[in-house]
Order: sequence, then structure tokens, then C-alpha cells
Amino acid sequence: MAEMAVQSDVVDDAGPYDRAKALSAFKLGDLTFYWITRISAISVLLILGGIILSLIVGAFPAIKEYGLAFLWTQRWAPSADPPVLGALGPMYGTLVTSFIAMLIAIPVGLGIAIFLTELCPQWLRRPIGMAVELLAGIPSIIYGMWGFFVLGPFLANTFQPFMIRIFDGVPVLGAIFAGPPSYLSLFNAALILAIMVLPFITSISVDVFKTVPPVLKEAAYGVGCTTWEVVRSVVIPYTRVGIIGGVMLALGRALGETMAVTFIIGNSFRISSSIFAPGTTISAAIASEFAESDGLHQSGLILLGLLLFVLTFFVLAGARLMLLRLEQKAGK
Amino acid sequence: MTDLSVSVSASGHMAHQPLPEAPAKVTVRNLNFYYGEHHALKNINLTLGANRVTAFIGPSGCGKSTLLRVFNRMYDLYPGQRVTGQLMLDQTNVLDPKLDLNLLRARVGMVFQKPTPFPMTIYENIAFGIRLYEKISKSEMDGRVEKALRGGALWNEVKDKLNASGLSLSGGQQQRLCIARTVAVRPEVILFDEPCSALDPISTAKVEELIQELSENYTIAIVTHNMQQAARVSDKTAFMYLGELIEFDDTSKIFTSPGDRRTQDYITGRFG
Repeated sequence: MAEMAVQSDVVDDAGPYDRAKALSAFKLGDLTFYWITRISAISVLLILGGIILSLIVGAFPAIKEYGLAFLWTQRWAPSADPPVLGALGPMYGTLVTSFIAMLIAIPVGLGIAIFLTELCPQWLRRPIGMAVELLAGIPSIIYGMWGFFVLGPFLANTFQPFMIRIFDGVPVLGAIFAGPPSYLSLFNAALILAIMVLPFITSISVDVFKTVPPVLKEAAYGVGCTTWEVVRSVVIPYTRVGIIGGVMLALGRALGETMAVTFIIGNSFRISSSIFAPGTTISAAIASEFAESDGLHQSGLILLGLLLFVLTFFVLAGARLMLLRLEQKAGK
Repeated sequence: MTDLSVSVSASGHMAHQPLPEAPAKVTVRNLNFYYGEHHALKNINLTLGANRVTAFIGPSGCGKSTLLRVFNRMYDLYPGQRVTGQLMLDQTNVLDPKLDLNLLRARVGMVFQKPTPFPMTIYENIAFGIRLYEKISKSEMDGRVEKALRGGALWNEVKDKLNASGLSLSGGQQQRLCIARTVAVRPEVILFDEPCSALDPISTAKVEELIQELSENYTIAIVTHNMQQAARVSDKTAFMYLGELIEFDDTSKIFTSPGDRRTQDYITGRFG
């Protein structure tokens, strides 16, 4: 009783006028806050739109000159007169290197995440977790140098000859793993990319694996599942959306990665069936040629950049679509 | 006190008449359990009779859920938890470190406090567990799934949407799905860890009814905070306090004339 009396006294003292004033002060704060967040959000759209617009403006001369043929022309001869430019080589290289990189990085990255969350003894967790995070912190130029001086020669002397010998004469695979071994190749670039995107997949997967309720895992163990069955049938389906998010982030990085790839891909615009042959990617082509380009050549490079933009957009949209399908299949 | 004894006689047991002894299904001898340094279960001795429902009651933290998690070695998932003593399931030494845990857990099923449907369809939720042990044809599987869902008193509600996600069901339905899933593996013992604490009264009544039906074929252990529930569904009741088994007797006896002062205080709501 006494407490209630004290409370009503306080309200009376404050009076209706003061209260309204206090509230209106909050209102101003609310309004400011609303606009700050709103402007921040809108600025993303403006920046994105501005980038697309300036890319289109810069690429316009090349679009006018080559039209859609730019997409399926393999020849890249900027010093010819008039220059002949085609994006097929870099587009092919971008997609193939990213594809191989994901092929390697997804299973390895998920494997590390599963080991860390489900199997790893406590004392080993921190060292491995930290090593993965550090991997993400290495600047890409270091990866490029390491790939150029260490990984490239190593692969060319050991792994590549081995694969070439094994698949020699096999119909399709023989062409994919064809010689001669090379320090600079699509495969080397893909391998470096795989190492670079691995931390993304692993750390995001570890985070989402930790969100699986322990009781759900216990329930699965409770019907007699082995750890593998728990991971495959409960942990991964439960965290599917998060994992795919991590893979998309990694794929986005792989598609656009420039410095490391430029070092070790060989910058050849010719498309070869062999993944051990040199090639190029869109970003590598732009990085290696942009400084000494002008006129139509420069416009062509900007058009390549625009293509990378579109390519990334479509790949990510495709992934979204896949996710939607998966969810329908799971009966949600 | 009075309405408790009323509910006991309403459950159909004859008050004060000792139940005929059932053959032992699970035997616990001198069991001690440790969470690291913490001594959570102290020298537990009891027997779960075959095809009997045994309820475990006691205030929070008294060790009843811990004891349940020893029955299927669920504690094994976590480092630093260990157990001493003896625990026999028929002739099997449950605490044998070389025991195949997957087989043990097929024999000792568990239903949890919160419904835990797996992230898959209703059909798959049931078929999943069966597939772990048996390779059977599609039509046989359909039959087993239907039988399990009927066993879980859920078939009529879900028969038209077997391909919907298990997560789309209501809480009570999810819990019955989990019971059906447990039954589908054909266990011998089913452990219920506060199975109704997240359910509304109607769902609770359904699950309780189900537990009674299941006791015809299975040995059941149930942990509950709800005294009336223990009185309604169980044949035997174990009262635990601070890691010790204080009293273990026929449910009708525990709820009408408990032998220990602490049991009486707890069931009459004086503490806990």
C-alpha cells in the first residue's frame, strides 16, 4: 500500500505538462534516429546505382562498337587496328576458376567446421579455429606471391605431371588434364582461390552449427544416430540457409578476387580445354591491362567490369533460387 | 492432500494395495554421477519394472533428469561427465565403455522436454529412425510409418500431409510426432524427460493417455514436475532430493502415506 502511494505521488508531481514535454524531446531523438538510419540505407542504393551508371557510361563506346558479339568473341587484340575485343576468355576463366575453387573449398571448409563443432577435443578447438581466422587475414598479394614462387612450381613439378600421365588417352578427362605442366594455370589460380575462400565457409558454418539446439542433436543421438548421421540429417539440414549464405559469400569473393589470381593465372585470353593451361579472369584482365589502356581498349575493360557485375548478380540470384527450391522440397 | 489422493484413486490404482512385482527391466546399483567435481547423483539404487511406468519427482536440480540421461548414456556426449556403479538393462551392462551406444539408444528411446522434430517431413521424421537399423521396401516403410503415427495418436491429424515439414505441426502434435518417432524404432524402454512441460492442457492429456497405452508394450520412465501427472500416469514413483533417492514405492503409497517426512513435504507443496 505504502509503495503505491509513493508511486502516485511521483506521477502527480511530474504533472501532465512536463510529461508531454519530456516525450516530445524523445520524439525529436526518434525522428533524428529514423532519418540517420534511413539515409544510411538509401545511400547503399545510391552508391550501387552510381557504380552501375558510371560503368555503363564508361563501357558505352565498347558496347556501341562490339554489341552482343563481345560476349562470344574469344579474340582479344587491343593493339590491332581497329582493336578486336571479346570477353569469352575472361568470362570462361572466371567461371571455371570459381567453380573449381568452390568444388575444393566447400567440402574442405564444411569438413573443418564439422570437425571443430562436433568431433574436435576441446584443447584443439582454439588453435584450429584461430588458424582458420588467420587464413582469412592474409592479404591477397601474399597469396599471389606464395602461389607464384612456391605453389606454382610445386604443382607443375608434381601434381600436374601426375594427373596428366594418369588421364592421358581417357576421352573427356584427358582433354581437361592435358599437358604441358605450367607454373601459371587456371588450376593453380583455382587452388589459391579455394584456400582464400575456405575461412569464409568454415567460420560461417561453425557459427551456424553452433545454433543447432543441443536437445535436437540429443534427440537424433537418442534414436541411435552416429555422429555422421546426426551431422548429415539434422545439423546440415537445420543450418542449410546459413551454410548456403556462407558459400555465396565465398563465391562472391572467388568471382571477384583480383590480385592473387593476376599473379598466377598467366593472363592468356585463349581458351584451352585443359585446366593446366594459362588463362585469365575478368578481374585479372582488368588489373593487368587497365593502367596502359586508352580509348576503345579502356572502354572494353570497363565493359568487362560491368559483365563481372552482371555475372556475379546472376550467380547469386541462381543460388537464391536454388535455396527456394530446397526449401520447397523440404516441405516448408 | 485430499485432492491428490482423489486423483490417485481416479487413475484406477487400488490405493494401499501393493502392486504385484514386475520382472526387473533396468537395475541400478550404487550409481554415482559427477559433472566434473560436482557430485550430482549419490548412491542410487532402484529397479524399473518391465511394462511399468516409473515417475521421478523432486525439486529442480535434484538429479532426476541426470538419472534419466544415464539410462541411455546421453551424458557420454559431453566431456567431464562420468558415472560409477552398475546399471543393467536386462543382461546388458549399460555402463560398459565398449558398449555400442547406437544400439543402446535404439533399445532405450528418449522423448525430451521440448518437442524436437528433425528438420524434415513428417514421414521422414519417422522413417529416418527406422532406416538406421532396417532396410525395408517403400510399401513396408509406409506401413511402419502409419503404425508408428497411430501409436503416437497422431495419424488421423497428419495422414493427409505426411510430406509437410515436421516443424509445421503444433507443439502438442510435434511432441506426439517425437513419441511416434521413438516408438518406430521399437525400443524396449522409453524415457520421458518432462514431456508435457511445453504443452497446453489438452495436449498434455493426450500425451498422458498415450503414455498409459505405451506401458502395455514398453517400460517407461518419466521425469515430471507435475505431481498430479505423476499420480495419474505412473505405477511407481521415485522421490529424489539433492542427488539422493529419498523414497521409491508404489505411486498410490507415495501419494497417500509417504514414508519419509521430506516426501510428504514435497508432495504437499511445502517446498520445491
